[in-house]
Amino acid sequence: MNTATALVEQEADIALRGIRSLDDLERLRIYFLGKNGKVTLLMGHLKTLAPEDRKLFGQQINRVKVFIESGISDLKEKLLSTDTPREFFDETLPPIAPRAGALHPITQTLREICQIFTKMGFEIVDGPEIETEFHNFTALNIPLDHPSRESFDTFYTPSKHLLRSQTSTVQIRVMEETKPPIRIIAPGRVYRPDTVDASHSFMFHQIEGLLVDQKVTFSNLKGVLNLFLRELFGSKTKTRFRPHFFPFTEPSVEVDIAWGSRSGWLEILGAGSVDPNVFKAVGYPAGKWQGFAFGLGVERIAMLRHGITDIRHFYENDLRFLRQFS
Amino acid sequence: MKISLNWLKDFVKLTAPPDQIAERLTMAGLEVKAIDAFGNDQVMEIEITSNRPDWLSHLGVAREISSIENIPLTLPFGRGDGMKIQTGSVPDDFKLTLEEKESCPYYTGILIEGIQPGPTPDFIKDRLQACGMRSVSLIVDITNYVLLETGQPLHAFDSRFLSGKRIVIRRAKQGEAFTPIKGNDLKLTQDDLVIADPEKALALAGVMGGKNSEIHSDTQSVFLESAFFQPRGVRQTSLRHAIKSDSSYRFERRVDPEMVDKARDRALDLICQFAKPRQIGKVLRVGKKPKSFSSVIVLHETDVENQLGTNIPIKKSAAILSRLGLQIKLSGKKIKAVIPSFRPDLTRPVDLIEEIARIYGYDHIPETLPVTQPLFHQSSFESFHALIENSRDFFAGQGFYETVTFSLVKDPGPEMETFGNFPVAIINPMNQELNQMRMTLLHSILGVLQRNIDHQAKSGAFFEIANLYTWNPARLQPQEEKTLGLCIWGDWRPKNWLDTGRGATYYDLKGILQEFFDRKLGPDKIKFNSSPAPFMDQGVCQKILAGANELGFLGAVNSGLLQKLGLEEKVFYAEISLQSIRQELTGSSHFSELPKYPSMERDLSLIVEDKVKSGQVEEAIRILGGSLVIKSELFDIFRGDRIPKGFKNLSYRVTYQSPQVTLRSEEIHELHFKIAAELQEKFKATFQS
Repeated sequence: MNTATALVEQEADIALRGIRSLDDLERLRIYFLGKNGKVTLLMGHLKTLAPEDRKLFGQQINRVKVFIESGISDLKEKLLSTDTPREFFDETLPPIAPRAGALHPITQTLREICQIFTKMGFEIVDGPEIETEFHNFTALNIPLDHPSRESFDTFYTPSKHLLRSQTSTVQIRVMEETKPPIRIIAPGRVYRPDTVDASHSFMFHQIEGLLVDQKVTFSNLKGVLNLFLRELFGSKTKTRFRPHFFPFTEPSVEVDIAWGSRSGWLEILGAGSVDPNVFKAVGYPAGKWQGFAFGLGVERIAMLRHGITDIRHFYENDLRFLRQFS
Repeated sequence: MKISLNWLKDFVKLTAPPDQIAERLTMAGLEVKAIDAFGNDQVMEIEITSNRPDWLSHLGVAREISSIENIPLTLPFGRGDGMKIQTGSVPDDFKLTLEEKESCPYYTGILIEGIQPGPTPDFIKDRLQACGMRSVSLIVDITNYVLLETGQPLHAFDSRFLSGKRIVIRRAKQGEAFTPIKGNDLKLTQDDLVIADPEKALALAGVMGGKNSEIHSDTQSVFLESAFFQPRGVRQTSLRHAIKSDSSYRFERRVDPEMVDKARDRALDLICQFAKPRQIGKVLRVGKKPKSFSSVIVLHETDVENQLGTNIPIKKSAAILSRLGLQIKLSGKKIKAVIPSFRPDLTRPVDLIEEIARIYGYDHIPETLPVTQPLFHQSSFESFHALIENSRDFFAGQGFYETVTFSLVKDPGPEMETFGNFPVAIINPMNQELNQMRMTLLHSILGVLQRNIDHQAKSGAFFEIANLYTWNPARLQPQEEKTLGLCIWGDWRPKNWLDTGRGATYYDLKGILQEFFDRKLGPDKIKFNSSPAPFMDQGVCQKILAGANELGFLGAVNSGLLQKLGLEEKVFYAEISLQSIRQELTGSSHFSELPKYPSMERDLSLIVEDKVKSGQVEEAIRILGGSLVIKSELFDIFRGDRIPKGFKNLSYRVTYQSPQVTLRSEEIHELHFKIAAELQEKFKATFQS
């Protein structure tokens, strides 16, 4: 090796060993590789050589250059990892919060219920809230002048329309327009002139479900609703099916779930096999179709799931309440 | 209804503990809400569904227990010795006249004279009290006792106040005055049925007796009524005059026609036993007991299996129905069932199947899943539902809290009508604060804001997606539209150690909406047009348009309205029809080739009069730049200093790009100066040196 290059390499080797800071390293880089650095100057010599010697000398300079460059980069990495930061960094300063929002707990519960049923192949449908007597009562086998209407007190409009007192109206609307098989759920607002207290409101949310096909039994109703309740409340949920009366189903049932430490029963939904009179009202031929329907109150379920004891919280929309569900 | 266990023991032998009885009744459809001790008695509070009037009595509940438990039922009839008293000796010229056979198919009564007023026996008093009834007088207590025992309402008139030796069952005269035992004086209508003597109305049939013939402590002779009144008429009268009674409650649900005579005789028994009457008359009867709706129902074993999804042997079904009081004829796999008079609810095979399932036990029916096919008529609501739910997620993600507020609101005044919207009113509101369906979400959302400000909120961003309701005068129909309402208020960027804060502005709301529409409809599909909107400040309000389709508006809420609500700072509000967005949805977005050639940015600063709107300048830049200007953005507004008063300096960053070639610096320079020159002309603009 040419002496000049060897000397430079040796000098660089020694210098690199003595480097303790990034500043020193930079100074070293300029000393060897800068515009007037030792290696750069060696390059200048290249021109003075005979063409036959240039190739070899060139290779030697390059070797020295690579040696210094890799030495610098190794040291830099080492120094960066151990060097103390120049500025004091306070990582404990408060983070900058983004603007946060949230869905209403009613929406969250509605979605969860709808998701379970869509997984079972139900479609989500919608229907009007301002309804006719026919859809809210007559077609649902609730005759005028019958005491069964008493549990369905209703708001009326001057045009003799009414605010639906149950989402069962959507059953009728869908069956009027659709030939079975039908599998629907209809979430929405319903209205009853109830005095507002911790567990009542004149407006609340329901989800109605309907399944109509050629062969649908009460046993199927139990299967689907149990599956739903176990999916929503956990696989160990205990349920009981209790006979009840709804004008639009026969047999009718109320479903309770075991709840709380004393494991009392809590009513969670109403259901039943579709009454033949309902099929008749929507113009289905007698005996051709079977089905079941169910309805549940969304607020009630949201209250249970979140431990909310006063239904009025839902409609007050206090941020301190809403934030708890983000 | 309250049911005394001691009383039930008169009819069935109860061996199980009360909570077990309650459990079994509940699982048979008589939901026991509570069991309370009452002296040495236990009282069950049972919820009785409106289809089962036969359960509105101790006898009815006892009959149910006897069929659930399969134990014998003892009836309370014909035990007393009252009937030994000679009948027929009191006025044989006393008559009943039935004018209304339809509303009152069957009416009976009996005159009882010379009763000795005395204390009500303890067992009657105790049982009445256990069931929540006050003891009044011996005769009234006995009628109430029989009502609670048999479910048949009775009424006793003090016969000294009857004139004319005649009871007439007739329509009331229009406007006829009547004073019921309890409640206000009434003016009757021709649709009301009354029990009257030739001079006056004595009772509102099936609902309540009159003050004029009420039993008193010194009453010595009574006329005891037991009848069948049609449910519909009793219900209408009860609703019309807003009077409810234990009697009307049962008649309107239909009483057992066979019980009319039995209950009267049972009361007579008790009266003879405890009131020791001197004489009792002959039983007077008019009309005929009505028949059941359907007396025979045929049921096959397969009907039961098809409905319930489990096989219940026909013999078992027959046994269940027979325990429920039906007369059963079993032949092969077929049941012929004769329906008793107390079960008007059983009219079809499916009704029998429910009875079988109920007693068999819903719990014994297995769980199975239906065999179903995929559905191919996907509902048209599905894509709309996705739009609604995605919109919710979008705004929650942008820092908005979702609200749920009432659709019923107070009349907000005539403002909406000036914009062509007519309300749907509620004719029976609970109070005048909630007397119409809302036509805007604004007031509801402002209410939420107000409440939160009261609780020291410093900023608020709320949205709600709900229906708005208007009356369509052309179609004479109410109309509902799924609508998004949203507002921002207060500290939009709260001050912190890194940034100086600032309040919410119109432009914050507009920016969020622009982003929302760009995502839903694709970039640059909407336009904002200055235009007034209800309850918004004049001039601080724009319509949002997609072509000619009006999607909604945004604006600053009218300061007058804010003042009324006590809100001091500006509130920015927008309302958007999701139905209108739905019409603009185009399905999957179309890919545009990525630009191959680089873009270049040049700044443009110009001084214009204050009244020049930035939007006009921006539009001009785009038009002048043609297809080579792909973006122009205002990045600074400056007033004061070297800018003369009444002027402002606007700075834009213009991005140039061609889809075909790499633009040369000189080309851009030339175009940029051409635009600047045109702007100078068009807006009388000047440029900073």
